[in-house]
Amino acid sequence: MNIVLVGLSHKTAPLAMRERLAFGESQLVDALSRLVDQKTVDEGLIVSTCNRVELIASTPAGAERGLECLADFLRDFHHLTPDALNGHLYKHADTGAIKHLFRVASSLDSMVVGESQILGQVKDAYQQAINAGTIGRVLSQLMHRALSVAKRIRTETGVAQNPVSVSSVSVELARKIFGDLSDKTVLLVGAGEVAELAARSLIEAGTSKLIVTNRTAERAEDIASKFSGGAVNFEAFYDVLPSADIVICSTGAPDYIIRPPETKRALKSRKKGPVLFIDISVPRNIDPGLSALENAFLFDIDDLDSIISTNLRERESEARQAESIIDAEVEHFVEHLRSLDIGPAVVEVKELLSQIVISEFRRNRKRLGVLSPEQEAAIEEVVIPALVNKISHPMIVHIRNAAREGKPTQMMDELRKMIRID
Amino acid sequence: MDILWIIILLGYAVCVAQSIFALTTKRPVMRRTALATLALALGAHTAWLLLRGVRTGRFPLIGTQEMTAFLAWGLVLSTLIAYRWYHANALKAFIFPIVLVLAAIAAISPDPEGQTREFSNTLQSILLPAHVGLLLLAYSSFFVAFGAGVMYIIQERELRHKRFGTIFYKLPSLDTCDAISSRAMAIGFVLMTLGIVGGLWYSYSRYHVYWQAGPLEIFSVVTWLLYLVIIQSRINAGWGGRAAALASILSFIIVICSLVGVRYLGHAF
Repeated sequence: MNIVLVGLSHKTAPLAMRERLAFGESQLVDALSRLVDQKTVDEGLIVSTCNRVELIASTPAGAERGLECLADFLRDFHHLTPDALNGHLYKHADTGAIKHLFRVASSLDSMVVGESQILGQVKDAYQQAINAGTIGRVLSQLMHRALSVAKRIRTETGVAQNPVSVSSVSVELARKIFGDLSDKTVLLVGAGEVAELAARSLIEAGTSKLIVTNRTAERAEDIASKFSGGAVNFEAFYDVLPSADIVICSTGAPDYIIRPPETKRALKSRKKGPVLFIDISVPRNIDPGLSALENAFLFDIDDLDSIISTNLRERESEARQAESIIDAEVEHFVEHLRSLDIGPAVVEVKELLSQIVISEFRRNRKRLGVLSPEQEAAIEEVVIPALVNKISHPMIVHIRNAAREGKPTQMMDELRKMIRID
Repeated sequence: MDILWIIILLGYAVCVAQSIFALTTKRPVMRRTALATLALALGAHTAWLLLRGVRTGRFPLIGTQEMTAFLAWGLVLSTLIAYRWYHANALKAFIFPIVLVLAAIAAISPDPEGQTREFSNTLQSILLPAHVGLLLLAYSSFFVAFGAGVMYIIQERELRHKRFGTIFYKLPSLDTCDAISSRAMAIGFVLMTLGIVGGLWYSYSRYHVYWQAGPLEIFSVVTWLLYLVIIQSRINAGWGGRAAALASILSFIIVICSLVGVRYLGHAF
């Protein structure tokens, strides 16, 4: 039994190719069943996101044939020419495949290390494969382990700790100032795309109210209705400033539109604690002098960028620690898999032993004289199995140990020889 | 030294080390161990107070040892309540060092077991410990407000400097610090008011005067007014943020300085 993995990601293939090879939600069930229809594949799973496509399978036909089969399947399913994928695919078998999957699920292979989406996507892929009936003993154990390794890495290392996008940094800053965001109001000044994203993240993080203002009123109303917020006249936004807890500014204005004197008045009249100002416009729209005001916290795009790059460096150094966790977990799982493989060997040893005992019993049956049917049954059903279990136990322990070290076949051959000596 | 004190001191020392360590490292460290040690130490601490009370047949609130022990106990309790309400783990790092110091003072203080007061009636024997106990609990509450104020100032500094160290991620939000501070101050104020009323009543019941204009009494009233003004401005003027945090820090420092001053310059309790 081998575990094989074939795939491509943002590291090996351009977007156009990833698009071409992605499996849409509607195709997935069909693809999964076609994948395991082949004799070389017992169990299969497909992870398909905008950054990667991964085919994972367990195969009885040997690693090499398994890998070939997955690559062919990928090509055939998407109707590609034989060498279209050259240089873009990576292929991993057994330890390599397990390690790759663990790294992917733990978001160590992601474009932004530590991002949290991939874990959900891997979970979904697993669920879909379960629904399609293409998951068996091997892949279910592999996936369970992959998900738990991912969780372990998220909690034990800092790879996913500090935010690394403008939106998530904004949310983090808001949380560090306000804690609970549920009664907070966001004021969006200007309607740039990044600002809209940041507003969306804040709303998802629980802020209760959104006010939008923009030079072109339609755009403001557009965004406001999207998030069920309210739009206000651009000239009048200073009137709503006191009610805002978080102000995100991104207009195309060439100079400062939020200045200290007006802001100071607004802060005074609001009679509440701090206000977070986020200025993502270039050139800046909020006067940097604002940060001298009490209870005003101003972050411009440079501040956000420097926070992001510090956090990215932090994540990378944490990723190194995560790698060593992965290595240990892979080793652990490989051992576990090997000890799973001894099932048939255990049956075989017991079978061989009981054959010997039963035949000896029958051969010498006459010497035992008259036995009641109960006694006869007791010998066959209790005494002989107990004897076989007792004798085989140390052998099975031995096989299991050999399996952990990766040499179960060798051990079995020797055992067969030993048992057959009669 | 009593075996209980050894348990108490060791337990609090572990908590101090863990809480400071947890504040400066990224991953949570030994949280469970620290919690278990804290439970053990607090149990021993409570047991010591109870035993002392049973042995002397009165509330254990007389003399330096008993009062510092009780104050430390109140501090641990207030911190745990603040933790339960706001999940502000970081607060422990700001309060437990003082708990440890107080516990150490109590542990090495002379142990005047026989120290007692003569009361002419049972009312007095309840009023005096109620007065002292309530005031000590009020101070521990004010200390929590102080700790939260310090956290606010540190967190604000991190935000202003835009360079986020580990501590930034470990401290609670500004609003949470503010909320802890204002609630602790309000609770402390109520306790202090009750404590002062208890003191006046005791004074009347014992000496038939409410007010003797001693330094301690004047000081108590001044502190009470100070906190009244701060709380009033918080509620009515919507005063919050940095100024309020500074106020909670400064007012506590003033309280401590005058308490020490009164103790060494004027009468004892």
